Amino acid sequence: MKRPYQICSNCVMDTSDSRISFDKNGGCDHCNDFYEKVKPNWHPDERSRKELEAIAARIRSFGKDQEFDSILGLSGGADSSYMLHLAVKEFGLRPLVFHVDGGWNSEIAVNNIQVLVDKLGLDLYTEVINWEEMRDFQLAYFKSGVPHIDIPQDHAFIATLYNFAEKYNIRYILNGGNVSTEGVRNPMEWLYYGTDMPQIWDIIRQFGTIKMETYPFSSIFKHKIYLSYIKRVKVIKPLNYVPYVKSEAMQFLQREYGWKPYPQKHFESRFTKFYEGFWLPERFGFDTRRVQYSSLILTGQMTREEALEKLKKPAYDPETIDDEFSYIATKLNISVDELRHYFTMPKKFYWDYKNIVSVFVVGAKILKALGVEKSIKR
Amino acid sequence: MITIIDYGLGNIRAFVNLYERLNVQTKIARFPSDFNGATKLILPGVGAFDYAMTLLNQSGIQGELERLVLQDGVPVLGICVGMQILGKSSDEGVLPGLGWIDGQVRLFDASKIPFKTRLPHMGWNTIKPMQENPLLNGLNEESRFYFLHSYYFDCADETETIATAEYGLRYACAVNKKNVYGVQFHPEKSHSNGIRLLHNFARL
Amino acid sequence: MLYPRIIPCLLVHKRGLYKTVRFKDHKYVGDPINAVKIFNEKEVDELIVLDIDATTHGSEPDYRMIENLAVECRMPLCYGGGIKTRAQAERIFGLGVEKIALSSISVENPAVVPEIAERVGNQSVVVVIDVRKSSISGGYEICTHNGMKPTGKPPGEFAMAMENSGCGEIVVNSVDQDGVMKGYDLNLIQRIREVISIPMTVLGGAGSLDDICAVIKRHGIIGAAAGSLFVFKGKYRAVLISYPNRAEKERLFKKVFQMS
Repeated sequence: MKRPYQICSNCVMDTSDSRISFDKNGGCDHCNDFYEKVKPNWHPDERSRKELEAIAARIRSFGKDQEFDSILGLSGGADSSYMLHLAVKEFGLRPLVFHVDGGWNSEIAVNNIQVLVDKLGLDLYTEVINWEEMRDFQLAYFKSGVPHIDIPQDHAFIATLYNFAEKYNIRYILNGGNVSTEGVRNPMEWLYYGTDMPQIWDIIRQFGTIKMETYPFSSIFKHKIYLSYIKRVKVIKPLNYVPYVKSEAMQFLQREYGWKPYPQKHFESRFTKFYEGFWLPERFGFDTRRVQYSSLILTGQMTREEALEKLKKPAYDPETIDDEFSYIATKLNISVDELRHYFTMPKKFYWDYKNIVSVFVVGAKILKALGVEKSIKR
Repeated sequence: MITIIDYGLGNIRAFVNLYERLNVQTKIARFPSDFNGATKLILPGVGAFDYAMTLLNQSGIQGELERLVLQDGVPVLGICVGMQILGKSSDEGVLPGLGWIDGQVRLFDASKIPFKTRLPHMGWNTIKPMQENPLLNGLNEESRFYFLHSYYFDCADETETIATAEYGLRYACAVNKKNVYGVQFHPEKSHSNGIRLLHNFARL
Repeated sequence: MLYPRIIPCLLVHKRGLYKTVRFKDHKYVGDPINAVKIFNEKEVDELIVLDIDATTHGSEPDYRMIENLAVECRMPLCYGGGIKTRAQAERIFGLGVEKIALSSISVENPAVVPEIAERVGNQSVVVVIDVRKSSISGGYEICTHNGMKPTGKPPGEFAMAMENSGCGEIVVNSVDQDGVMKGYDLNLIQRIREVISIPMTVLGGAGSLDDICAVIKRHGIIGAAAGSLFVFKGKYRAVLISYPNRAEKERLFKKVFQMS
């Protein structure tokens, strides 16, 4: 029986997250989890800044004889751009800056990477994913019918990050994840884990057509266990230690670097723009803006009214969507009809394919108990 | 419906692609019957004046074209050689043009061009609007367009010159008389200014 | 006023974009369509796309790819690679391409140049001359088939012959400077420039906007084409598409035209 529609009275998450639960006041579990578990541990104040300074000092000291003392993936998006600025200008770090080119860069992303790297006088590394392999990988995901079709791009990023860290013996990973704008996580039903290798292999086996010879793969075991516990690679999230108000950060980046803003989060990649703006909401009813806006509501950067108003309009631009749809099809070397077929085919989810979700769930519980990770992804 | 005239010359596809991105429907016309429902006409062209007129004369559509433009007042935009054939004749050849705008097509005086490579005039150059005209609305400050031609339109009536460019001399690079428009440059290959101009034409 | 053209040049090999050094050491740079889309968004003056496989393998041009690239271009696009006949050229023009580039065929069968030019007009026919220093004579010679077949022909004479047979533009490509990023071969450029009067574009060796500045300063209105410069970044040769923005171009041209 279909659940009646309900939207949180505090944020804008609703029953499109099928596992959402509400308390007696109509507040959802995302909000409650945030208030109870995340917010008390997040205090971007002077004390926090000093903590970050201490961490930065350790990073600098540990890496002082190395070429790089840390590593940072730059997508050209606001979070990673601002984090790079902080790391270099305010905390004197020397990160290896890399960018993963999956073949979908927007011009804005390329511009933003360039202006930051140029002005900060840094050298850039790129990992260019072989397009024929990426294409086949992405098509395999389309054919599988699942929502999380951006895994080919996501996974490439994670794998490249850890590969570089290992290659250059880097102990500290700078991650742009932040509570300020990501306090609410995307439900697993919408965006599943990008490092569940059994699932990835299952989908490739069933729907892939070429051998993945150069695509960088990395398993959850490799990076969470081997690199974290054996090589002692640490992940630092600098944006959590300082006040991070997204709109101010973007204005600063524009003034200081000539950085250009995007219409929406994650629009650095044309594919992700299509995926989050159109595919996910229109095929599955999953609108990631709900997650993003809810996060901003919880941290006082957006009001619920503003969010509701914005959500009235579609996440994609009706004027350009036909062109975008056509471009995606052309680039994937399929017909528009074939793409439409994937759009309308029966829906599948992560549980329809091999998966080790239990490992992730148990692992997350352990990490939460150890105080390492705070917010829920469920 | 914007109708792009295919008489054998010019980059038809470029116009189709450009308008598609603007969500403006277009149709390609090769035969007289293809002009049904035409509300605007694009007359492309590259290459030589005489060759363009020959092809147009052979195409069998000239009669229909003249009816639509001169009698029905359907707006038409001539591009590059498509603009030149709007004139009376050209130094380049012997055939008469359509004569819809009073002007003579002349060869640039190479001695006045201060560059080593004189002809053709090729590359991005600025245009200077001479009067308010809806075709030229909303162009960016620089107003650069892509040019590729060795002959220019010597417009007899100054009031019909809506923009000029400079190459050895200042000459008419955009003309307009009633429903007849012509541009010497290639808006279909001039990025945002070109897109704007072609969108303006669609919205006339 | 008329500005010189600054033109990115992309090489297609095995359906992907590659960059070479001295026509060897192919390095994968990514997917052509997205690269062309980005260049279009950066509002480049013109774009040259050369399929380096089509000639060596004797295959037909990849019309589907060409069509997909042309759709993304709101600036003139020049395509070269594997074009041997007028029919092929016309088919490519029909896909929305402004200019076609002839290279090996212009040496093997020069009659094809006027044959195509007569139909579509000189302005749409470009001849690309790959030039290197002969290991035997030390002088410049043309080579074909991606630098693999030396011909012994001096480039200046050949360029003149091409001009006379109706081609509308000459692209001079220095094999020795290809991908080296230490500047254009100004000597070679001078030699050819002196003997032709049709437009010329130079390719091979640009490593910075200063190199482009240098060639424009010397020759005024010229096409300055570059591959590596607009595709690589920094000492690790990170792949990142770049192109001078409007302000940078203005500064570059002001610098050049005020000083000359």
